[in-house]
Parts: sequence; C-alpha cells; structure tokens
Amino acid sequence: MIAAVSTALILPKHPHAALSLAAGQLLAALNFFFLEKLVKLFTHAFVARREGGTSGLPGRFFAFASLKVALVYGVGAALTLSGRVDLIPLLAGFSLPLLALFLKSLMLAFGSGPNSLVRRAPRTAATSGNVAKPAALFLILALLVLHGAALASEATVATGSASVAAAPPEHAGSAPAEHATAKSEGGAQHLPNWIVLLNDYFPHNPVVHWMHENEILVFAWLSGLLFLVITWIAMRRPKPVPGQLQNALEWIVESMDDVCGGLLGSHKERYIIFICALFFYILTINLLGIIPGFMSATSSLDLTLALALITFAYVQFWGIRNLGILGYLDHLAGSPRDVIGFLMLPVMVPVHILGELAKPVSLSCRLFGNIFGEDTLIVVFVGATALLLKASLTALAIPPMLGISALFMMLQTLTAIVQALIFSLLATVYLYMMLPHEEHAHGETEPAHS
Amino acid sequence: MNFAATLGFGLPLGIGLAAIGSGIGIGFMGKGAMEAMGRQPEILPKLQVAMIIGFGFAEALTIYAFVTMFFLQGRIG
Repeated sequence: MIAAVSTALILPKHPHAALSLAAGQLLAALNFFFLEKLVKLFTHAFVARREGGTSGLPGRFFAFASLKVALVYGVGAALTLSGRVDLIPLLAGFSLPLLALFLKSLMLAFGSGPNSLVRRAPRTAATSGNVAKPAALFLILALLVLHGAALASEATVATGSASVAAAPPEHAGSAPAEHATAKSEGGAQHLPNWIVLLNDYFPHNPVVHWMHENEILVFAWLSGLLFLVITWIAMRRPKPVPGQLQNALEWIVESMDDVCGGLLGSHKERYIIFICALFFYILTINLLGIIPGFMSATSSLDLTLALALITFAYVQFWGIRNLGILGYLDHLAGSPRDVIGFLMLPVMVPVHILGELAKPVSLSCRLFGNIFGEDTLIVVFVGATALLLKASLTALAIPPMLGISALFMMLQTLTAIVQALIFSLLATVYLYMMLPHEEHAHGETEPAHS
Repeated sequence: MNFAATLGFGLPLGIGLAAIGSGIGIGFMGKGAMEAMGRQPEILPKLQVAMIIGFGFAEALTIYAFVTMFFLQGRIG
C-alpha cells in the first residue's frame, strides 16, 4: 500500500526514480517469497527428522535456494551493473517492505494480537494492548498520511496550476504579511494559529519557516501524538472498574465496534482496526481545531485526499485479495450472468471504474468541505467582531458576537464528530461492497420482526 | 458580460440551489427514519447508521458546490 501510494505520487515528477523504486519493491517481494518457501522447507525437514524420518534436507530445498540466489541476486546485480536505474531509489524500494515488517512487528509487540481489540467484554479488565494497538496502527497511518501530504503539497508548489490540490489558498506559498492583512478581511482564511504567531516573531528562523510552510503536517503530527499520549495515559494501568478517560475511550471503541462491526458482519475482526484508526485520527484532528491557536489539519484538501487515497487503496487491496483477480474484474464488470449482462459490458465497466474513482474524491471533498466551511464560518464572525471593535462599537460587538461564535463552535464540535463518523462509516460501506456477499444474504433476512 | 460579476452572482446562487436539493433529500430521509423509529423503536441503532450514511451522501452534493465555490472564489476579484 505504501509502495503503491509513494510510487504513484513520485511518478509524475521523477519517472525514472519511481520505476527503480518499483523495481526495488518487486525485488524485495521476490526475496520474501523465496525466503518464506525456504524457511517452510527447512522446518519441514527438521520436523520430519525429529519424527523419525529418514533424509535431511530435500532436494527441493537446494533447488529453491539456488533459484532464489540466481533470480534475486542476479536481477539485483544486473540492475546495478546495467546502470539503468538510480541506486538510491532502488535501495529505498528494497527496504520499504522491511520497514513495513518492522512496523508490523512493533504493532504486534504493542498489542497481544489483532483480535484483542474487538474480543473484549466490557466487564473484563482490559489489557493495555487494547487501545495501544489501534494507537500504533494510527501512528503508522499518520506516517503514511504525512508522506502523502508532503508529496502532494510539494507537487502543489511545483506545478502551481489550478489542480485540485492547489485549493487551500494560503497553504504553501504566501508570505506572513499576507496573513496579517488577510485575516482581517475574513475571506477564505484561517484564524492565525501559534505557528503563524511564531513566524511573525521569528521571521528568519529556518525551523519556524519550515513549520509555517508545512503547518498542515505539523498539526497532523501533533494530533497523532496527542492521541497517542491520551491513549497511553488512559490505558497505562487499565482497571477492572474503568476511570473516566478509560471509560470514555472504551465506550468509543465499543460503539464503533457495534456500528461498523454490525455492517461488516463476520469479516469484522480484520478490518475494524483500520476503521477505528481512521476514526480516531480524523476525530483528533477535527477536534484540535476547536482549541484557539490550533487549526484542524483536515481543513486542507491535501490531508483529506491523502486519507481518502489510503482508504481507496486499502479497499481495492482487500477487494482483490478477497475476490481474487477474476472475481474483482467480474465485480468491476457488474457481475454479468446472462446475455443482456454481457451486452451491457462496454457500458458497465467504465461506469463501475468511474464509480470507484469517485469514492476517494467524494470522501476527501466531503471532509474538507465540512471542516473548512465551519472554520470559515467562525473566521467570518470573528472578523466581523474585529471590524466592529475597530469601529469602537464595543457594546454591539462583544456580547452578541461572542454568543454567535460560541454557538458556531458548538456546531463545529458536532460537525467534527459526525464527519469523523461519516468518513469511517463510508469507508466501512465501501469495504462492505467489496466483500463477497453470499454470507450476508442470510444475515439480512435473519433479524425477524418480533 | 463581465466574468467576475457573473461569477459573483452565480456562485452563491449555485450553492443555494444545491442546498435546496440536499435539504429536500435530507428532509425526506429524516422523515422516513423518524416514522420508522416511531413505528418500531427497537430498530433504532441499525436505522441510525443507515440514516447517517444517507445524510452523508445527500449532504455531499452541497459540499461539492461549496468546494467549487472555494476553487473559484479567488476569481471573483
């Protein structure tokens, strides 16, 4: 997943490097495949010997070993010697799956297994793995998102065209002076946050400047870390009778489990962690925007697009994994079963492909539009307050405007929660559409009316 | 015809029209959900999930208009 996203994101700018990255990843996949085979054969041989078998290592072991050496290292040497590919992206591509494995093992170290999250009765003492597990996944997700967002914003700066990602007006290129003037106009601008203030005070500090240019990244990281800290505090010493924080977290996890797990049915255990991670990440980011001096990073299309692309890749991956390549193509073709279905094939395939492609667009635009809209609403009213204050109409400015702003902030809280829920719910629904449906046909008829 | 003036006139109008559409959609959906809830209260959790998903789809139409407005807002001048 990481591989596909990063390759796709690099591709337009450095096609050469992207190709070598992909080649490295392919090589690594080959390597892992052969390693797995070898280990299996090796252990087979040992088990056979211990159980009183006869021979040592079978001939297939050596065949596979020599095949592996020849293929993997041969291709590697050929690629290196031919000089066609850049070495660094090749190495990076080769090490990316290793990184993924490392993160996976980290995740396993955190939790006691993928099922620990969902198989938890409310009364039992929760082990600390329960929330640390989604938290770790969450960190990985955050990493992914930031990678995507960074590349996307780079692309925005590089192209500078009127593409989709160029939407946030003040995102990358603007000078601090523009910020200072624009915020009183109250247009499509954010309220100043602490990074902007820092940038005003230390205009020439490179660190501050970098943070100002990538404030979306900074806030996304910040909210990820915040959530990690909160879960760590809450689940550090899990009690049988949960305290306030632990209770709240458990309640959220359980209700997500109810809602999304009810939709996914028997497939729940595998996917609920991803859904929960999405939900918590978006929720934290959204709610961070309510605190004065912070902004919600989801009010940039870069981040929401990255999140939606991850969801898209995840859904397509599991769709292919579950249905198989042929089943997936069949699904894309609208499952033709009769003559009319096959006649409709040239119409149905583009329609389904377009429908699949529309999903990330609608997901990202919905989240971005809602959060950004709420932010803009508040900015407009704060700007109006500032204008009235400038005209020294204090009695008219402070009390009613404060009330209205507070009202909209309540609305913003509601929007933040509901949008996080909708994002993860829609991800669940898209996932559900990709799953084999035979088992669900019984599930639908089962709950009879009493 | 002046491009900026047309845009300045059309964008808010477009958002209003989109909001009418999705407002009607959400209203129908809420009505149906409320009626079903009144008739059969035990179905509530399942109904709520479906309702929220439907709301999301209906609301997305207005959001598209909204995002379009943000794209074109700078051109008004």
